[in-house]
Amino acid sequence: MKRTPWLIVGAGVLLAFVPQLGLPAFYDSLLYLMLSWIVLATSWNILSGYTGYFSFGHGAFFGAGIYTTSTLLARFEWPFLWTLPMAALVAATLGVALGAVVFRVKGVRGEVFALLTLAITFVIGTIIVNTPLDGGQGVSLSAVPVPHIGPTQSSTFYLLALAAATLTLLIAWAIAASRFGAGLFAIHDDEDAAEVMGVPTYRYKLTAFGISCALAGAAGGIHALFLSYVTSGEVFTIAVPLTVVLMSVLGGTRHWAGPAVGAVAITALLYAFTAADHAVAGKAVSGGVLIAAILFMPEGILPRLQGWFGRGRATLTGAAQPPSASASGSAVGDASPFAVPHPDVAAVLTSPAVAAFASASRHAVPADVLLRVRGLHKSFKGVRALAGVDVDVRRGEILGLLGPNGSGKSTFINVVSGHYVANAGEIVFEGRDLARTAAHRIAGAGISRTYQIPRPFARSSVLDNVALATLFGGGVHDLRAARRQAMAWLEFTGLQDKASARPDELNLHQRKFLELARALASRPRLVLLDEVLCGLTPSEIDDAVALIRRIREQGSTIVFVEHVMRAVMALTDRIAVFHHGELLAEGLAADVMQRPDVMTAYLGRPYA
Amino acid sequence: MHESGMAPAARAAGDILLEVRDLRVAYGAAPALWGVSLDVRAGELLCVVGPNGAGKTTLINTLAGLLRAGGGQMTFDGRDITQLAPHRFCAMGIAIVPEGRRLFTRMSVRENLELGSYLPAAKAYRTRSLDAALALFPALEEKLPQLAGELSGGQQQMVAVARALMARPRLLLLDEPSLGLSPLIVVDVFAAIRRINADGVSVLLVEQNVAMAMAVSSRAYVLEEGRIVAAGTPDDLLARPEIQRAYLGVRDDA
Amino acid sequence: MSAFTLPSASLLAQSILSGIFVGALYGLMGLGLSLSWGLLRLINLAHFAFAFLAAYLCYQLATMGVDPLLSLAVIVPAFFAVGGALHWVMARFAVTPLNSLLLTFGLMGIVEALIQSIWTADFRKLESGYSALKFKIGVLYVPIPELITLVLAVAISVGVWALLRFTNLGKALRAAAEDAPIASAFGVNQKMNALLLAGTCSALAAIAGVCLALSFTLAPSQMYAWIGVVFATVMLGGLGRALGPLLAGTLIGVSEAVTMAVTAPSWAPIVSFTLLIAVLVLRPGKAA
Repeated sequence: MKRTPWLIVGAGVLLAFVPQLGLPAFYDSLLYLMLSWIVLATSWNILSGYTGYFSFGHGAFFGAGIYTTSTLLARFEWPFLWTLPMAALVAATLGVALGAVVFRVKGVRGEVFALLTLAITFVIGTIIVNTPLDGGQGVSLSAVPVPHIGPTQSSTFYLLALAAATLTLLIAWAIAASRFGAGLFAIHDDEDAAEVMGVPTYRYKLTAFGISCALAGAAGGIHALFLSYVTSGEVFTIAVPLTVVLMSVLGGTRHWAGPAVGAVAITALLYAFTAADHAVAGKAVSGGVLIAAILFMPEGILPRLQGWFGRGRATLTGAAQPPSASASGSAVGDASPFAVPHPDVAAVLTSPAVAAFASASRHAVPADVLLRVRGLHKSFKGVRALAGVDVDVRRGEILGLLGPNGSGKSTFINVVSGHYVANAGEIVFEGRDLARTAAHRIAGAGISRTYQIPRPFARSSVLDNVALATLFGGGVHDLRAARRQAMAWLEFTGLQDKASARPDELNLHQRKFLELARALASRPRLVLLDEVLCGLTPSEIDDAVALIRRIREQGSTIVFVEHVMRAVMALTDRIAVFHHGELLAEGLAADVMQRPDVMTAYLGRPYA
Repeated sequence: MHESGMAPAARAAGDILLEVRDLRVAYGAAPALWGVSLDVRAGELLCVVGPNGAGKTTLINTLAGLLRAGGGQMTFDGRDITQLAPHRFCAMGIAIVPEGRRLFTRMSVRENLELGSYLPAAKAYRTRSLDAALALFPALEEKLPQLAGELSGGQQQMVAVARALMARPRLLLLDEPSLGLSPLIVVDVFAAIRRINADGVSVLLVEQNVAMAMAVSSRAYVLEEGRIVAAGTPDDLLARPEIQRAYLGVRDDA
Repeated sequence: MSAFTLPSASLLAQSILSGIFVGALYGLMGLGLSLSWGLLRLINLAHFAFAFLAAYLCYQLATMGVDPLLSLAVIVPAFFAVGGALHWVMARFAVTPLNSLLLTFGLMGIVEALIQSIWTADFRKLESGYSALKFKIGVLYVPIPELITLVLAVAISVGVWALLRFTNLGKALRAAAEDAPIASAFGVNQKMNALLLAGTCSALAAIAGVCLALSFTLAPSQMYAWIGVVFATVMLGGLGRALGPLLAGTLIGVSEAVTMAVTAPSWAPIVSFTLLIAVLVLRPGKAA
């Protein structure tokens, strides 16, 4: 979809000729306001819409930009245009400083983040009012000369805002179409799963916040001179953030152009009412519009329009279509998906990279230890889930983890994959101790996992769910290449027909296979499977067992938690039995299961 | 009226109290129960065993009204309860001890027990029920003012059972009462369950710990992958290869 | 320029007293919001709209000769009904906490427009028999309208606390807030209880509005000025706690008043918001 940036720029260039029409200054001002709101709403959306961290502090950064410019103009007599990058810089610095602290705190999400940012607005506003920056009387800029960019003064502001809006829309589109944007959307849907999949969530949130604030600051800089008299009371209120939220939610927060649509709609609406001398009613109507939008169109106008015009399901960027299943277009249909790998699939799976690690790991030397866990402890609020676990996982094997409910098997997987942090102990993977490493780095090191209850990214397509894993765990940086590889993995697991579907359209069996495809797409050397077979019918279990075998044949080492005994007997090289957070027994499946202490643990009393 | 203050069985022992026919329940998008039929007779203590993922919790939650049945029929005391609103199950005489206890952790033990007797019919007997519960679990007496979330797993299980008893149920449902508890506590809990049943309360319990469940029950069902695959007395079932295979994966022949 | 000036003892004492009074109003305004957020998981910005609407109605009735306190008899049931209706709509559409924030903001806009169309944007001051009354305790002046607010705030907060703590209904509400399905498994009809609670929260907002009308000048745009400090009160006091808003409100009110006495009035907001930020960053789990 590389046309889009040209369309945006083209529209910007075209609209630049509007002042030549010689419209009354009023229209310039109206259009200026519309464009300014486009900048504010779109920039807000880059953090809040894409990641779901709804900020109510956008007014603070807009205000920071306003006051940076007004101070530089009034006090230091800078040329106006030079104040704009400064305004952006100050706002961005403020945002990044705030984010650096706030994003580190685990509990700050959702409503808490919203209130925090709102509080920041009032704090900054109060500081500004009480210091020489504003001093309570505001700052007058009437003496400052307005640069001659357009034929009239008001058209100058229009053109500046147009430039800012074009730039902002380009940035918003570029992010949405990039790997960075894919990560942001993943954070929105399931931050923990994204982190475990390899998305550097802290860094990404901070970057998005910084960009968002910079653009708001720049808009503020322009607005300062437009107002020509700046007061803090107008700026540091709840009005700006709430309006911005309204516009974005109305237009659609998932799409880069959604906030712009909302901004145009709301500004036009308010204008219509103000012009007709019903400003008050205009407020009521916009309130009513917001209510209707929340109740009936919670995803916004744009997605609804896309749906009507059949522009395809929601995908990573909201615009692109998935690549077709294969170049030669053969229908895989009802044939067993595991029988003959499709040429494309074979190509991917036998590519040099894959072949390299496949051959490297197919040592067939059982003593080569891939993962060594010693003394692993994990407690939750006084309950000891893992009480000192020692286990070795050998390269190329399939190790089964068994044990009654509550014995610590899932906790083990959660700790090794980084979902939880161990209280004590070491987890040495290929020579590196990963025990207290961030989850996304563990994913990068070559470990991936599935969840017992599948956790797909609900608002991305099946294809994009897998593509995300390729982008972040598999070291691929190009979206298109990632999608191609993802398609190959979907074929490997038999889900290729569902590539453009949303996860909630899949049944449980398909969702589990999606989890598997996601886990594999990052080309891990160790795959952790958490009760993958739970809830499947016997024939589905057979399919899954065959698939797991093929995964091992590709060269991955597999550790899986399972209760379905026949799968355990059929697949595992060795098993480890957990009991009350400790390892009870380890060894060949047939041997271990006959041991009296294991039988007691399972059935509760010694068996003859 | 029994000494313990528990509600007497409304039906003569042996009559069918709960009748489940062809129950179909979907959990989310996935079907979890594929036509389950079972009976609970008045005064019985019976168990449903099966591996993880078999649908045991889905079954019990549906019987307690926490989940909606997608098809089939449930009849309690002669009345069709299949489409009954969730909050009316308790008034019918069904109380649940849920999986993982699910106590109100931010409320005291006493308040949890009082919640159990929220309904007017149970509230009238609140003091007597509380005395009976403490007689069953003496260790709870000193824990009454403490927050439920601060108790150990075993103590929480006791509170959960006591809470359900405060509702003066005719049918007590227990979902994996042994979960996460050490073996000694499990013995205590099951002893308590036996006493409750001896006082006339019918009990349906769902368990992964086959031995304990079979030891206390008079009848059992085996649930596997959403279907009842076997039914009978504990001795019959334990001898059967299904159980051995389901839980140990080894054949009795070798 | 803000210079630190140490006020006289009596001035400081009067400041603290007025801080207690305004804090009581913060607490009263925050109570309904806190209960709604903590027990129903709905963030109801319309709370402020209801408070102001009630304030204006009280004003209107006062111009027609009705005593403000008597007007409660009409206002409270009316807003109880409105609150219940609003909750019914939100429950029916399964609105998430974040969306409830947005939706009720929309409602605020509508109510503001309604107020402005009926009463215009002019400032309105309620003149009642209480307005000019005050008495002296030692060197301190105690104005009657503010005292009424304090008494109502304390009485209602304690009453709600007792209800939540000791009554069957209160326990049911607290239990359902933590685990609604299990609460209903023991017979709690949460749908009905939620409607009752939502109605009560709106009624509380209305009472706060009447107190507001007694002490403050009204203007439609003033609605938004209270949002920040009342949210600070709610979060500091802990969601869903009956006495929390009152205590937090008093803390905020007094520290604002002292700040104003020592420096300049315009510095006052920084106290409450810095406290709020500290709470949110250090104990986010406590808040939500």
